[in-house]
Amino acid sequence: MSKVPSLEDYLKDAKTLELDGVSLEYFVKGEGPALLYLHGMDGVEGSAALIDILAQKFTVYAPSHPGFGASDLPRHFSTVDDLSYFYLDLMEHLDLNDVTLVGFSFGGWVAAEILVKDGSRFSNAVLGAPLGLRTANRREQIVTDIFMLDRKDAEERMQFKSPALTDVSELSEEELGRKARNAEALTLYGWSPYLYNPKLEQRLHRIKVSTLVLWGEEDRIAPTTYGDGFVTGIKNASFETIPSCGHRIYTDSPEAAADRITKFKNAAAS
Amino acid sequence: MKVWQFSEQAYHPAFEVPGAMRVNLPSHHCDPVEAGALINRYLDEYMLADQLGYNIMINEHHAAATCMSTSCMTTLAILARQTQNARLLALGIPIANRSNPVRVAEEIAMVDAISGGRLEVGLVKGAAYEVFMSNRLPNRFVDRFWETHDLILAALTNRGDNFSWDSENFHYRVVSLWPRPIQDPHPPIWMTASSANSAAPHAKLDYNCATFLSGAVARSVFDGYRKSYSEAHGRLPSDDKLAYLAIVSVADDRKKAFERAEEMKSYFTTAARLDPQFRNPAGFNPWQVNVKMAQAGPFAIRPRLRDGSPLPSDPTIEQYIDAGLMFVGTPDDVFKQIAQFYSDVGGFGNLLMMGQAGTLSHEDTVENLTLFSKEVMPRLKELSAEGPEVRYEAFA
Repeated sequence: MSKVPSLEDYLKDAKTLELDGVSLEYFVKGEGPALLYLHGMDGVEGSAALIDILAQKFTVYAPSHPGFGASDLPRHFSTVDDLSYFYLDLMEHLDLNDVTLVGFSFGGWVAAEILVKDGSRFSNAVLGAPLGLRTANRREQIVTDIFMLDRKDAEERMQFKSPALTDVSELSEEELGRKARNAEALTLYGWSPYLYNPKLEQRLHRIKVSTLVLWGEEDRIAPTTYGDGFVTGIKNASFETIPSCGHRIYTDSPEAAADRITKFKNAAAS
Repeated sequence: MKVWQFSEQAYHPAFEVPGAMRVNLPSHHCDPVEAGALINRYLDEYMLADQLGYNIMINEHHAAATCMSTSCMTTLAILARQTQNARLLALGIPIANRSNPVRVAEEIAMVDAISGGRLEVGLVKGAAYEVFMSNRLPNRFVDRFWETHDLILAALTNRGDNFSWDSENFHYRVVSLWPRPIQDPHPPIWMTASSANSAAPHAKLDYNCATFLSGAVARSVFDGYRKSYSEAHGRLPSDDKLAYLAIVSVADDRKKAFERAEEMKSYFTTAARLDPQFRNPAGFNPWQVNVKMAQAGPFAIRPRLRDGSPLPSDPTIEQYIDAGLMFVGTPDDVFKQIAQFYSDVGGFGNLLMMGQAGTLSHEDTVENLTLFSKEVMPRLKELSAEGPEVRYEAFA
């Protein structure tokens, strides 16, 4: 198992850049082909373990989405569309090409929205338990509505491993602030319709890059069948699952996830 | 002092159901025939209040056994026709949860017209958990509140040609109120506040400012209002601009008054029954506020006893009285408690009186309202006669 550093230590490596009026917090780690890592609901810090493993094979670019972590939230940002156009600008700004695009959960939704707009700078993509397709249909709730759950229930459903539930009184002001910003931004982007874009389904065919859809077999937020929508909609998609793994693939199975991502990149390159 | 009768109009038979009273309490626990009978009973009490010289306050909540009034304006539409003299206060309409502000303005205008110009309109932010029912975005709630307010006021005050409206959340080709309100330029507007800062915008706009069951905090709300009002208007506001909401139980003997207060106390115990995830959805408050709240802990926002300690989680009636949330006892006791509170907070011109709360029966409510109107209400004139000018000359 990889060692997860304290948040304080982890944030020492954070960089900042200004783009489109946003002061963006991001990490650049490792060496190798470029990989853009789009984090899930719990912020970039939640993916620290997986990002460090990926950095052994890739140059990982891991931003905090605008509104999350220490990244600005401009007043005019309100949808995942705004995030996806912002990241296309970021790719231009950094002038990255042949990028492996990786997104988990909420970040998987952002990744899909980027690819339906412009996939030209990306060589392949891994969507880990992505959201963004219809999460409910009339009275049927397909993806668990975490806004209706208390914190403990939500945390326990998120992952296969028992979550470390810290008392808020034990958290530093910085950690409290990041958690509060992450939650606020997630609500902004995902309150209604609940974590999806009704237009995404009919746009998925525009994704041309080779795409791996990865799912935890024990996902209790979005069932594995929810992944079918992505595999059906994206022309060049394959589907793999990871055993003993919940919705937070990057928490439950960082090594397995890194292994699948690396193999998929190598297969796409050969 | 104007006194306003108020009841949350609880479906109190559901208080026996274990668990939450709001958001996730299934409505199969509601017997609609019993609910209808109860609502009619509460309306009767409001009509009695009208005869006894009270004004009337109505509120609304959604998905709650604690409050069956799901629309201020629906309830007030009935009372507009069935009462004669009372001013009719909606406190309030949670406008940032409304998807159609012009519809809100239409309902205001219609009720004002039916009542002959007796309507007063509270435009409120409302409780955080209401966003789970309205499904409106918790984020940028205050921005949307003012955007909605601006459109409602534009609709109510328009005396020229019809107009179109386009703003971040609202787009209308034509806005035209038929009927339009009788009161000119519009019915008096009320808002609620729980701190000096939150009272400031209300003062600048010359709106009435109410604070609910806040005890000693009312002092800082009213001080903040007076200060902002003086700065904006160059004079102190009249006491009529300020309102305090409390539970009142009065009886000829103290024991009976306390027994009634115990029934009314179930308002507090049931209002608090809400699952934690609905109390403060992310985005509703700015994240900086959420950090401060997390650091301060749950007791920071409890009302305070006179000695400064927080009100315990299951207070006695005496402690509720001490904190200024309840006025209980004989007419003389209740007058003295109100006079003390009035002095503590620097004066106010409106007592929003929960003359019915929780499980208090119809008979007890009738006695409570009747005795208060005869023995306490006339004496309250003594309070407003003193006026706060002397105490507040520092602001002038």
